[in-house]
Amino acid sequence: MSGKVCSSNSVMQARRTVDQLRVEANTDRIKISIAAAQLVQYCQEHSRSDPLLTGIATSSNPFKDKKTCVLL
Amino acid sequence: MGEMEELRKEAENLKDQITEARKVVQDATLPEVAAGTAVVGRVQLKTRKTLRGHLAKIYAMHWGADTKLCVSASQDGKLIVWDTLTTNKVNAIPLKSSWVMTCAYAPSGNLVACGGLDNMCSIYNLKGKDGNVKVMRELAAHTGYLSCCRFLSDSEIITSSGDCTCVLWDIETGTQKTIFAGHMGDCMSLAVSPDFKTFISGACDFTAKLWDIREATCRQTFSGHESDINAIGFFPNGNAVITGSDDATCKLYDLRADQELITYQDSSIMCGVTSLAPSLSGRLLLAGYDDFNVNIWDTLKGERVGVLAGHDNRVSCIGVSSDGMACCTGSWDSFLKIWN
Repeated sequence: MSGKVCSSNSVMQARRTVDQLRVEANTDRIKISIAAAQLVQYCQEHSRSDPLLTGIATSSNPFKDKKTCVLL
Repeated sequence: MGEMEELRKEAENLKDQITEARKVVQDATLPEVAAGTAVVGRVQLKTRKTLRGHLAKIYAMHWGADTKLCVSASQDGKLIVWDTLTTNKVNAIPLKSSWVMTCAYAPSGNLVACGGLDNMCSIYNLKGKDGNVKVMRELAAHTGYLSCCRFLSDSEIITSSGDCTCVLWDIETGTQKTIFAGHMGDCMSLAVSPDFKTFISGACDFTAKLWDIREATCRQTFSGHESDINAIGFFPNGNAVITGSDDATCKLYDLRADQELITYQDSSIMCGVTSLAPSLSGRLLLAGYDDFNVNIWDTLKGERVGVLAGHDNRVSCIGVSSDGMACCTGSWDSFLKIWN
């Protein structure tokens, strides 16, 4: 953009900023105690099925090379 | 100009209103609420596979929905689709422009996309009739680099750009369906919500924005970072957003409380965050940094619980497979590593 600022552009931009801020000011907000509790609950409900958290047994780890023993 | 001064004052008033409204609901903190939860303990993941083949810095990677395949993009001018279990290269796609910055895998597994300093998003069909992978569409309209792209389906993709906008494209016609404008700096990263109704973008104006895809509006803006936001992702339940920044921190913002709940930082970490991915339950946050490491954070308590050290250069990208079984890191050292 050149150094010249078109004044009508600035006004339009400022109007858009105010309109957007009005939308955001009208957002409903819930208490952090409730929001946080729901994040904690989600983690707890899914922790047992989170492989990176619980660890994966070698036998069920598709990425681990399994060395098989051959009985001769 | 009377009107400009009035508008400026009104903007300041609205910002103060928002700050006050956010304070009203601050009746607790996330660590306080999580105090009773069991501690995570040290998380030690091992490199299970190293994917070798790129000849230059890797800039991006994305897991396929099938949890076995992933795609990576390197400035050696190639897109490689890997079978992560066997480390075999399923496809090695030569790109017209080697200055690639992002890549994406369509949920169907049929398409991959990439883009970068060519300002375009190129869509490739992996399942063409004759078996050759060809460019299906070139989505051109951005006036800045393509920093990130994510498919909604085989017919729609969202892109973020250095031109400060994000765009929803119709892949069939190659046209822009919606332009999401509002950021005051380069858009660096985007993530789509689990229900595909919204997406979030992180930008060099230090903010993250939540967009309604069909209404084409910006619903919420999150500030707090002191530098560019390079990485962004949704918490698995879709109710929170995690950002990673050049200010060396990651932050979690709750969408319904409309504010930051916690910052993941340590005084010993002084370099930028390049990439991030939550684990399946959301309890762990894996974040890649400029200092060649990945730090693993307990998202609820804010403590660092692990480090993945194994790359010889910056970790540029990271992803957790959709079944949560593995984390993949990509680096400027030209290798991808699979960890679990």
